[in-house]
Amino acid sequence: MPELTYREAVRDALSQAMRQDDDVFIMGEDIAEMGGSMGVTAGMLDEFGPERVRNSPISEMAIAGAAIGAALQGMRPVAEIMYEDFLTLATEQIVNQAAKHRYMSGGQVTVPVVFRTQGGAGWSPGAQHAQQLEAWFVHIPGLKVVFASTPEDVRGLLWSAIYDDNPVVFFEHRTLYPIKGDVPQEIEPIPLGRARVHREGEDVTVIATGRLVHESLKAAEEAEGEGISVEVVDPRTLQPLDEETLVSSVKKTNRAVVAHEAVTRMGFGAEVAAVLQYQAFDWLDAPIERVGARFSPLPFAPVMEAFVVPHADDVLAAIKRTVGKEG
Amino acid sequence: MATEVILPRLGQGMESGTIVRWLKSEGEPVEKGEPLFELDTDKVTQEVEAEAAGVLLKIAVAEGEVPVGQTVAFIGAEGEDVPEVTAAPPPREEEKPRDPEPAPEAPQQEAVASGNGTSGRIKASPLARRLARERSIDLRSVRGTGPEGRIVAEDLERAEAGAPTAPSAPVSTGEVERVPLSSIRKTIARRLTEAWQIPVFQLQASADMTRVNDLLARLRERDPDVRVTVTDVLTKVCAQALMRHREVNAEFTDEAILLHPSANVGLAVAAPQGLIVPVIRSAERLSLTEIAGVRADLVGRAREAKLRAEDLEGGTFTISNLGMYAVESFTAVLNPPQAAIVAVGATEERVIPLGGETAVRPMVTLTATFDHRAVDGAPAAAFLQTLKESLEDPGLAL
Repeated sequence: MPELTYREAVRDALSQAMRQDDDVFIMGEDIAEMGGSMGVTAGMLDEFGPERVRNSPISEMAIAGAAIGAALQGMRPVAEIMYEDFLTLATEQIVNQAAKHRYMSGGQVTVPVVFRTQGGAGWSPGAQHAQQLEAWFVHIPGLKVVFASTPEDVRGLLWSAIYDDNPVVFFEHRTLYPIKGDVPQEIEPIPLGRARVHREGEDVTVIATGRLVHESLKAAEEAEGEGISVEVVDPRTLQPLDEETLVSSVKKTNRAVVAHEAVTRMGFGAEVAAVLQYQAFDWLDAPIERVGARFSPLPFAPVMEAFVVPHADDVLAAIKRTVGKEG
Repeated sequence: MATEVILPRLGQGMESGTIVRWLKSEGEPVEKGEPLFELDTDKVTQEVEAEAAGVLLKIAVAEGEVPVGQTVAFIGAEGEDVPEVTAAPPPREEEKPRDPEPAPEAPQQEAVASGNGTSGRIKASPLARRLARERSIDLRSVRGTGPEGRIVAEDLERAEAGAPTAPSAPVSTGEVERVPLSSIRKTIARRLTEAWQIPVFQLQASADMTRVNDLLARLRERDPDVRVTVTDVLTKVCAQALMRHREVNAEFTDEAILLHPSANVGLAVAAPQGLIVPVIRSAERLSLTEIAGVRADLVGRAREAKLRAEDLEGGTFTISNLGMYAVESFTAVLNPPQAAIVAVGATEERVIPLGGETAVRPMVTLTATFDHRAVDGAPAAAFLQTLKESLEDPGLAL
């Protein structure tokens, strides 16, 4: 099995889709010559030319609107929003247009567009370039939302997102771009709405997304040393949500921790906790623990940033609370 | 409303404790953090501090064994009403009939009390409630050990396992004296029975203690205040040997053998209440004088039953020294999960061959017991040889 970085895995999915399908093209700020501010689309201009690797003006609303228009005309555009913080500028197009046209036309049109974006803390980008806003979009009927945490997942999920007939907001995490992982020789599409069990365990289920998947795996390792067996599950697709996998895991372990980098208040974990308490109520042996960022704009100072966002030790403490140990 | 005083869990695995005596009486004012009562667990006797300030309104359990999580007293404002205590079923020993509280089934309905152990709502996890429903267990008969006394699934398993064995009343015969098992005695019995399951082997060696005795004499001459003993030298020498032979400083688990990074040497101490093993941490990094200081403190507190739970945790090796008695050599039972223990006999003058002649030398016999699952014979022998050489020439170890 070849090894790719998360960054290369995204590029591979885009390039392979563009090779096999003329309807797929990419668009965004500085994605052509510069290869995007995170280098994801580096080299793609040379292979596909400026028609299909399109630099856009600095207007997220224009990028989103143009991509939606192209999708309505039958293309499969992948628009890059440089930082997910800037999704705020494209929200009108994504929320009021992309999410609504299929419904309002009675199914006469579809909007097969992908909004790729990235964000997250861990490298001091400051308050306006590090947020985790995935929960905003899970709240909108008509959108699908993906947040991949490994090279294999990001490639297989992006492929499925491109070929989904609905608008997909596709979140990547900045600090995951350099991580490496084995991927299948050929792209294996990963259906949207299917969770991945990263590690099986008996005592506690940790449901984590994005960077926190890796932090949770570290925490699980440490917990193991203290005799606590932890299952780690990544939903991968936040909407639609694989409730069945999450619920059956919690029915097995009787305890749950939900973990993400976004703030806890109204975070994605709140929704997961609600699903679990309803569907697994009679199986819960402890309150569901939530791990997320403190309710603060993200500080620039590295120590302050590290204080605000959660890490493996926060997950470990939550795990211990669920089993009644200190923490 | 009054704050419940709950029997705390002082260490992992603690399920119950014995209230020795109260340090405050009913009606007396209590500050938060003030010692409230003395609690005897399977490891230590410890003073439990008040977690709230006010007046000690009522002592619900004056003395005796109490499960973790049970309400033992109430602290509140002067003259405040105290909820009835729903006593959990006594674990094994019968409570003295002194306690006149009859059926706990009929509490006054007026007080809207919350929390387990009082009338009103019982705190239980959803899973515990479902299991109780399915197995027809009355949650009021189950004591909760989860956070804030919540009943969790594990408590139901325990309640069910414990239910059928009705406590048998003690029969007084007038001839055989019946000594009830203290919690420490039960722990000794359980742990040694566990240890007996482990496949072990013993190795024995004798060492010439001439130089150790010289060293001790010199140390005592130089600093008479710190009395360095043979046990301290053994502790140091064992710690150094464990660092050189890390495979002995080990713990066997089903998945892996854990090699500990430093030598936490436990000393078997005969305390009044029974055998107890306080631990000298990272002994390889301490000087002889430092070891003597730590040892004197630990042994002193062990004899006064004032050790804390943390004094007993984390040992990686144990020394059992019966050298003060007329014991030439003996075999010690392993102290799991540790992989080795050394039994030390008396240092006594023996006639030994030395350079083709006979000599009379102070000799000691060491018998080490090893967990064969973790350590094989050859590395164990190498460890024992290092011990012997270090005792015969302590300069090598120090």
